[in-house]
Amino acid sequence: MDHKIYILIVEDELEVMDALVKDLENFEAFFPVETANDTREAQEVIDYIIDHGHRIGLILCDHVLPGKNGVDLLIDLQSNEDTIKSKKVLVTGQAGHEDTILAINKANLDHYISKPWTEEGLQEVVRNQLTDYVIENEKNLLSYMQILDAEKLSEAMRTKKMTDH
Amino acid sequence: MTDQQGISWLNDTGAILNFIRRLIKDLPELQERLMDLNEGDLLFSQGDPLEHMYLVLEGNITLTRTQPDESEVKLITLGPGSFAGLIAFTTGEPTLTSGRISQKGQALKMRPQQFEQYLNDHPRLKHPLQQLMLNNMIQRYKSNLRLQTRTHLLSKELNKERNDLKKAYAQLEETHQMLVHQEKMATLGELVSGFAHEVNNPASALMRAAENLVEIYSKFESSHYSYKLFRLGLQSTPVDSNTQRNRMLMIEKRYPWIHDRSSVRKLAHMSDEALDLIDANRKKGEMDTLINHYEAGKMIHNIRIASQRIANLVKSLKSYSRQDQNKEEHADIREGIQDTILVLSNRLKFIDLNLKFNDIPKTCANIGDLNQVWTNIIVNACDAMKDQGKLTISTEATDDFIFVKISDSGPGIPEHLIPKIFEPNFTTKNQGAEFGLGLGLAISSEIVGQAGGEIEVTNKTGGGAQFSISIPIREDC
Repeated sequence: MDHKIYILIVEDELEVMDALVKDLENFEAFFPVETANDTREAQEVIDYIIDHGHRIGLILCDHVLPGKNGVDLLIDLQSNEDTIKSKKVLVTGQAGHEDTILAINKANLDHYISKPWTEEGLQEVVRNQLTDYVIENEKNLLSYMQILDAEKLSEAMRTKKMTDH
Repeated sequence: MTDQQGISWLNDTGAILNFIRRLIKDLPELQERLMDLNEGDLLFSQGDPLEHMYLVLEGNITLTRTQPDESEVKLITLGPGSFAGLIAFTTGEPTLTSGRISQKGQALKMRPQQFEQYLNDHPRLKHPLQQLMLNNMIQRYKSNLRLQTRTHLLSKELNKERNDLKKAYAQLEETHQMLVHQEKMATLGELVSGFAHEVNNPASALMRAAENLVEIYSKFESSHYSYKLFRLGLQSTPVDSNTQRNRMLMIEKRYPWIHDRSSVRKLAHMSDEALDLIDANRKKGEMDTLINHYEAGKMIHNIRIASQRIANLVKSLKSYSRQDQNKEEHADIREGIQDTILVLSNRLKFIDLNLKFNDIPKTCANIGDLNQVWTNIIVNACDAMKDQGKLTISTEATDDFIFVKISDSGPGIPEHLIPKIFEPNFTTKNQGAEFGLGLGLAISSEIVGQAGGEIEVTNKTGGGAQFSISIPIREDC
């Protein structure tokens, strides 16, 4: 398994970005974190990662961003085959009802985190989403047992074995 | 009946009546037609076919008409010399009015069929009666004319009153909307002051805790290099993700044995001075520990920055909404504009903001109210530019006036809409949910007017709209 599975964080406020990265440190050994401060940079980083044969497992995206807003970016990424399978999470300080509905309906939003977040809350969301991602997209699940949801992974492996037989 | 003609007519009628009375004495068949009028008796009812016509010789008959809503209107009082039932008599149709005796007296009661015969039988009666009928007609025609004139005057008055009412209603509506707006702002002010108090407490706790941490750290970490790393972290500036990526590549070359990505990223955050310090002391401590000293400083720095931002926002919000509504103060208008910009920073995030604040004197003004004006114009500009573009705000002053100009790089305002733009309920934002009741600019214009100034809008030659506000410089508050 040569390809890496990245976590991409899109956030324009540097202190907030700092805090998000810090809270996801534990995942880095398995899921390298990449960052972008706006939607254009996000697209460049995605292209770079994909071009190098890697994948994006999870996109954490701020709501209000320069250029396009986070919801629009997630909608775009949903229609892109490189990122259609990536788990998409919106992180927002303004729980705008309409935007959220739009994101859920059109960007197939997987989760919604409101600021301020807690370390445990954020890590739990990321763990669950990445677990789902690897179950859906990866063949060898064993190597993720120590970092992701072990119970869910072994359940998935049992089911897989049964269907394989 | 005071005019000359009226009096002569009365005299004339009197003479005719006397003549008729004398005739009645002479003619027995006329005496048979005499009837007594008893006060209160109903002579005929509206809508009935009329069998007789009455010539009042003495007393009064009052004609009334019942309206569709059952109310009764008094039309005319017929005195001596007047005919009652004249119209029904001439047209042969049911009577239009009811006749009630309002003063007792005497009348000559005649059947229409008999009337012609009387005239033929008594040629002496013919002329006076015809004259009387003519007089009656003349009188009614005159009163009709008076009525027409009066109706005209009344409808004119009514029209005027209706227009006044309309105007008053519009003013009331405008005042109502202003009041609702003021009420909203007052409520906002109250909310903000409560909110500010509540938020300032945790924000100060945060700031104090950060400072205390710095102090405690200085005691714990007595070794020179670790404390120095901490101090450097404390002075760090955030790095954007692009710079960080480049620096991460540099770090990977400088420390090829570090594979842990988090550590690489943390080192990439550090200044060259901090990296040199780490290199110099690498043998004395674990790499992770060295990095963490710097990280600790960086985090406290972040707490400082973030809590300072909270404090600034609260301060601006408080001064923006100005508790002391309706109070003038001797102030610098530019401060209000700055507060407004800070409060709207979320909307202005991606707008290229260009401030040309020339020196202006302080003036007496309601800064809180004026902040509403800046807000309305800036929010409109952001909407017009779809939150991307250039916003220029400038201030300048002459001897008597301060001028504030706010221009955007949006599409401008269609020329035919410019005259309407300050009218209440004018809005281009039709999608119900969107911000805007169409009151913003109307209220702005009202506020500027109250300050004794003027507001106008033009389209710039290069595109975009420009609002110019003038405020008189005053020292009398």
